[in-house]
Order: sequence, then C-alpha cells, then structure tokens
Amino acid sequence: MSHPIELKNVVKTYGEFRAVDNVSFSVPAGTVCGFLGPNGAGKTTCIRMILDILRPTSGSISILGTPRALDVRTRIGYLPEEKGLYKKMTATAIIAYFAMLKGVPSSKAKTTARELLERYGLGSFKDHKCEALSKGMGQKVQVLASIAHDPDLVILDEPFSGLDPVNQGVMEEVIRDIRAQGKTVLFSTHVMSHAERICERIVVINAGKLVFDGSVENARSLLPRRVRVRGTGVENALVNLPEVIQSGPSSDGRDDVLELRLEEGANPQNLLQTAFEKGVALEIFEVVDPNLHEVFVHLVGEEAREAAVR
Amino acid sequence: MMQIYRVAIREYLENVKTKGFWIGIFIFPVLIWMMIEIPKFLEEKGIPTRHVVIIDRSDGLGEIARERITLLNRKKVLTALQTHIAEATASQREEMMKDQNIDIGELLDQLEQGLDQLQRSDVEINPFDPTKLVEMGDLVPEEMLLNDGQWNILKKMVLNQLPEDAPPFEEPTPRFQEVALPPDISMSQTDQQIEEQLKGYLRGDQPYSTENGDVQLFAMVTIPARALEPGEDVRFWSSNLADTDLLDAILGALTEEAREREYARQGIESEAVAEIASLKVRSVNFDPNKSEGEEKVGIRDKIRQYAPIGFVYMLWVAIFSIAQMLLNNTIEEKSNRIIEVLLSSVTTNELLLGKVLGVAAVGVTMQIAWIGSLISILHLKAGPSATWVADIIAAVITPELLVGFVFYFIAGYFFYAFLFAGIGSICNTIKEAQNFMSPLMLLMMVPLATMTFIPSEPNGTIATTLSWIPPWTPFVMMNRMAANPPAVEVYGTALVLLVSVIFVFWASAKVFRIGVLRTGQPPKLFELLGWLKSERP
Repeated sequence: MSHPIELKNVVKTYGEFRAVDNVSFSVPAGTVCGFLGPNGAGKTTCIRMILDILRPTSGSISILGTPRALDVRTRIGYLPEEKGLYKKMTATAIIAYFAMLKGVPSSKAKTTARELLERYGLGSFKDHKCEALSKGMGQKVQVLASIAHDPDLVILDEPFSGLDPVNQGVMEEVIRDIRAQGKTVLFSTHVMSHAERICERIVVINAGKLVFDGSVENARSLLPRRVRVRGTGVENALVNLPEVIQSGPSSDGRDDVLELRLEEGANPQNLLQTAFEKGVALEIFEVVDPNLHEVFVHLVGEEAREAAVR
Repeated sequence: MMQIYRVAIREYLENVKTKGFWIGIFIFPVLIWMMIEIPKFLEEKGIPTRHVVIIDRSDGLGEIARERITLLNRKKVLTALQTHIAEATASQREEMMKDQNIDIGELLDQLEQGLDQLQRSDVEINPFDPTKLVEMGDLVPEEMLLNDGQWNILKKMVLNQLPEDAPPFEEPTPRFQEVALPPDISMSQTDQQIEEQLKGYLRGDQPYSTENGDVQLFAMVTIPARALEPGEDVRFWSSNLADTDLLDAILGALTEEAREREYARQGIESEAVAEIASLKVRSVNFDPNKSEGEEKVGIRDKIRQYAPIGFVYMLWVAIFSIAQMLLNNTIEEKSNRIIEVLLSSVTTNELLLGKVLGVAAVGVTMQIAWIGSLISILHLKAGPSATWVADIIAAVITPELLVGFVFYFIAGYFFYAFLFAGIGSICNTIKEAQNFMSPLMLLMMVPLATMTFIPSEPNGTIATTLSWIPPWTPFVMMNRMAANPPAVEVYGTALVLLVSVIFVFWASAKVFRIGVLRTGQPPKLFELLGWLKSERP
C-alpha cells in the first residue's frame, strides 16, 4: 500500500459553516507527515474524519486501503488533540487497556506497556495512578498507549502541546523511532520547528482549505531565498541587480547588515560573483533559506489573521 | 464481542476498586444487623416501667382503670413467655417441621379457619413469625388474666411447656405501675391544686419518690366523680404524647362500663347485647384465575399479592445504585477526552453495551453480596424463623412469577441504564447531569409511590394504565404479577417494554455518538431530537 491515508475532495459542513472545504491529499507509506495549519483550520476535524469518528459531508477517505477506519483499527494508533486518562488507573494498566482494545492479548499488552514506560523514562512511574502523573508524563503515557499495539499508521493530534522542551525532545524521539520501524506518521502541530526537524512532507490547511501539500524542500522554495551582506560599497554594487527584488536591513536585527531578497530561482552565487567583479570587500555573505515558520506565515498569515480578527 | 467484553471488564474492575462500592457492600449488612439488634436491645433494656398517678373521685371507676393496668402488664408477661418458650424450643420445632413436611400455607389456612370458628376475628395472624403467629395474650380471655388465681395457674401451665434444660424464665418488668401521691399532697386538695403541684414531676424537673426509690412520673389520670356522664372528661396529663396505650386502655374500659350501666338502666340484658354484637356476616373469597376446585382465596394469596414488593424494591435499588456509576463514568470519559481514543478503537454501540454490562455486573455483585449477607444474618440472628419466611416466600412464588421477575428486572435495568449513559454523554459535569436527573428521579418515584396500593387493586385502572408506560412497566407489572393480570396485558406490555428498551438503546447510542465529542453547553431538547433524526455526524 503506497498511501496509507488518502483524502479526495473531502468536505465537512456544520450547517452553513464549511469546516473542511474540498481537501485532497495523501500520505505516502513510511513517511512522517506534518499536518499544519493555524488554530481552527480544520486539522482536528480532518483527523477525526480520517479515523471515522466523524463522517465527511462529501468526498472520500481511504485509510490503509479501506474507507472505514474501524475495520483496520488494530493497525492504527491515535492520539487525540485533547488528552485524558482514567485518573484511577495506573500508567501500565491504561496502556495495556488501550492495547487490548486494539486486539493485543492481555499478558502481552502488560509486558509491552512496561517495556514502553521503561524505554521512554517513565519506568519508575509504571505503577502510579494517572492522577499522580504530571501533565507531561500523562501525555507521554497517552502517546505510548496509542502505539502500544504496534500500529502501521500513527496519527497524533498536537503531540507537542503542553510539553516542556525536554519532553518535546522525547516526543520527537518517539516519532523518529516509529518512522525507523517503517511506520507512517501523520501529526498535526502549529509549531513549525518540530515539523522542520522531523517531517519529510507537510500538508498545510487554512480555513478548511488545502494550501500546501509536498516535501519540506518544496515548501521552502515557495519563498525567495535571501542573502545577507556587509562590506564597503555593497549596497551600490548589488541592490540594483535584476535578481534582487527587495532590500533592507537584516531581519535578524543586525543594523549594519543588508538583507536582499532574491527572485524565485535566482542563484546567490551570481551575487557573490558580481561583488567580486565590482571589487567590493565583503565581510559577510550569508545565504538564508526561508524556514518553515516563514513559509507557514506566508501561506496562512493574512487569512489566519483575518480569521482571528473576525 | 471481544471489545464489549474488555470495556465491560475494565468498567467492572474500576468500579469494584472504588471506596463507594465497598461502602455500599458493607453498609447494607450493618444496617440490617442494626435493624435486628437495636429493637432487641431496646426490648431487653426494656421500655422502663411507666409510673402513673391515678386520682379517683368516682365510685370505683379507678378500680376499672387499675384492672386495665394489670391486664396490660400480664399481656406483656405472656408475650415474653411466648418468646422465651419459642426460643427454647426452636430446634425441636425445626425438626418437627422437617420431619412432618408441613405445608406452611396449609398451616396458615387452618389457623385462620380455627380463629374463624372461635369467632376471634380480632386476633391477627402474623404469618412471618413462626414463633408468634398469634399473640398468646390476644387468645386468653380477659377474665382469666384478671383473676389472680387463674393467672398463676395459667402461668404455671405455660411454663410447664418449657423443656427441662431450658434457661429459667425471667419475668419482664411491668409496663405500667401505679404510684401513690407524694406525702405533701393529699387527696383532700382540689384536682387543680394537685395537678398544679404534679406538673413539675410530669415535666421531669424533679424525681418522683416512691417506696422503690426515685422514678420518673409518666402520667397522671384524673377520673372525675361523674366520669361516665356526658360533659365530664377524664383528665390525662403527660409529657409523652406518643404512648397512648394506657389512656386508650382506660378509656376503652370506661366506655364499656358506661355502656353496661346504660344497658342496665334501660333494662337490656348485657349478655344479649354481647351476643348480638358478636353476630357477623362472613364471606368466602374466590379467585376466578385459580384452577378448578382451588379457587378459594386464603392467607397465602394475600401474602402472594404483596410478595412482589420486595422485587420492586430490589429493582429500584439496583437502578438507583448504578445510575450514579454510569453517569460518573461517562462524564469522566467525556470530560477527560478519553472517549475519542476509545471511539477510535471501539464502536459507539460496543462502548455503550460494554459500559452498561460492566456496571450491571457491579450492580449484580452488590446485590448478590446483599442477599448473601441478608440470608446469613437472618440465619445467624433469626434462626429458624428465617427458614420459615423463606419457605413462605417459596410457597407463594410460582415459576411464572419468577420468570416474570427476571424478565422485568433485566428489561427495566437496561431501560434505565441506557438512559443514564445517554444522559452522561451529553453532560460535561455532574452538575449539568443533575439537571437532567431531577425529572428522571421524579419519574422513578412514581413506582415507589404506587407500590403499596397497586397490590390492593392490581387490575384496576391506575395499575393497568401505568403498566403500559415503559419506564414504569417493570415495576408495576412486577407488582401485579401475583394477581394474574390478563395475558393481553402481560405480553402486550412486555412487547412495548422490549421495543422501548431497543429504542432507548438506539437513541442513547446516537446521542452518545454525537454527545461525547461535543463540548460546551449540554444540548437543548430540540437539538437532541434533531440528533436522533440525523445520520451519523
């Protein structure tokens, strides 16, 4: 199966409101795919539809080759956006329970639960009741509960929210481990740095519409590259070149550094060569690739702000 | 199936681990034990002898009052004697019951007939206490009790019934005891003056000195000179308004005396009056539902009519005890957002069924524990009486009744369980749930309120109407089962109930499906109806 998740023209309306508007994308097997979008973009609704918790108003969804997630539920791991645990159950019991609901025999479920807790640094809490765990620990327990049955496809809704930087690191490690086993991961977030570090692909939706679907490189190339320069006469020599579409002080706050935005597809090497030819003494020449954060703001910025104001 | 089972197992184990469950399990036997022990303790400790002052201004009416006191005291002795003998002969009686294979129903019928022949319709049968089916004091004629010589012979005769190894009988303290006026008060003072001076004693402000030491004065009875004439009242002073036994006895005796005197004045023979008064038209009751030749209605049938009350109570308590659990659990899952993970693993129907079955298992465990502790306490405490009561109940409960009870119990249970789970799924907090619960609780009060009068008119209009309303069908039909309601109603209401259980399950599953993913305010009623009509979300 080449694409564990495939959405075709999926629409979900609540009365007049189109929460998800004609979204199509697919996630190739064995990849980690970031599902990005501002708050209220429709990420959770999409995920719930993928899992057959909600039904799309129109369009079709295929998950692991079937339209009904429940038919393949034993092969799916799911961490919902709002996370909760039975307060009175122990960490081990709850992980084992969810694994058992996914068809794992009870003795194996308990062993796996203990192993997972040990591996991700919760070994000493395995017999603690969930109400005694901190929020971060609870969240880790939940993630472990969603993967304890060794699923082929893992869907994580906002796995990083509420975690401190150390635990965010652990979460990234969990996701990398899952991918290392050849599994497919779809996770939603609005923190771009995570996506940037662990994703191969990203899907961006905004106000219910798909605005981007492709590799992280493709996403970066959406924004022009920039070159930061400093040196005597650098302004005269470079600003008026045809590939430079904009110039101004550096966005990283260094007043004496000039930042030049290049037109799409322009090669920064040309600027370097021109500077040499014109005899400019360069002290700084940095090529800055746009980061995912900028791409994200570029893709959803205006509309998201409008939506927020509305 | 596996998912339902696993959800149910978790639900069961989690509930069984709670403190509430164990408190529920243990509070019941403790209550039962207290219900048995406390009256016993009070009886042993005894209501203390009540001390009475009698101011008699009449021509001998005071003597009549004193006779009554003697009568009450001797009846108390007889009751104590009866209990003592019953306890001493308990094992013998049990053996006899076993050996002779006595049909308890038959025995009760014979007893009733015997009393009927003696024309003692004033004697009541208590079928649930084999040691005291009738009070001995009710059977012995008053003249025999009032005559000291006969009384002593009677006592001796009864005591002779005791087996030789039996512990000696200790006579209980008298119920009432007359005391003389204090030395500083004399009968020559007016009634008002005496009453005024005695008030303090009656209020309990000061102890009343008698030859047997200080006591608490219970009452003062003033019998005026012409007490039997119209316009003259017996004056009764007491701080205790609840215990009217003494006053009732005295007034009853004086009324009788007044009548006797009036008969004499008008020249009517009092024997003739007594004979006339004892005339009584009697009836034999038949029930057309019973088989040919056995239509006669006996005491058994009367017990049968009331036996279902126990089952109605059981169902009610069962539903009541699971309601909170189902609500709490569903709300916990919902407010903790666990539900979403669950719904990615199990279908709504599986989850709902699993929860209800798991909680049902908790309820059944609790009930079995209760019944078990009830039986063992009764065996320990009440001894053979418990067997007797069990035998009576077994004698009156037919297989059809039992099948009916099981059916109504299960159907009623699921009806309410699905309802509660559905409500839990649309609420985020217990507080929100309370708003929905109050009308439901009112709904559930109806069977409790009607429970006592339905047996007296089991096929009346109210009973029939209530039977057709699904939330009440299980209770009301259980109540009516013993009265052989028409088959149309039995099968009709059962069908309606089954259909409603399925409907409630379907509706709850639907509401559950939408409700559990919803946050914020619980939906309005119209919105809920919309959910029912809607396809899946």
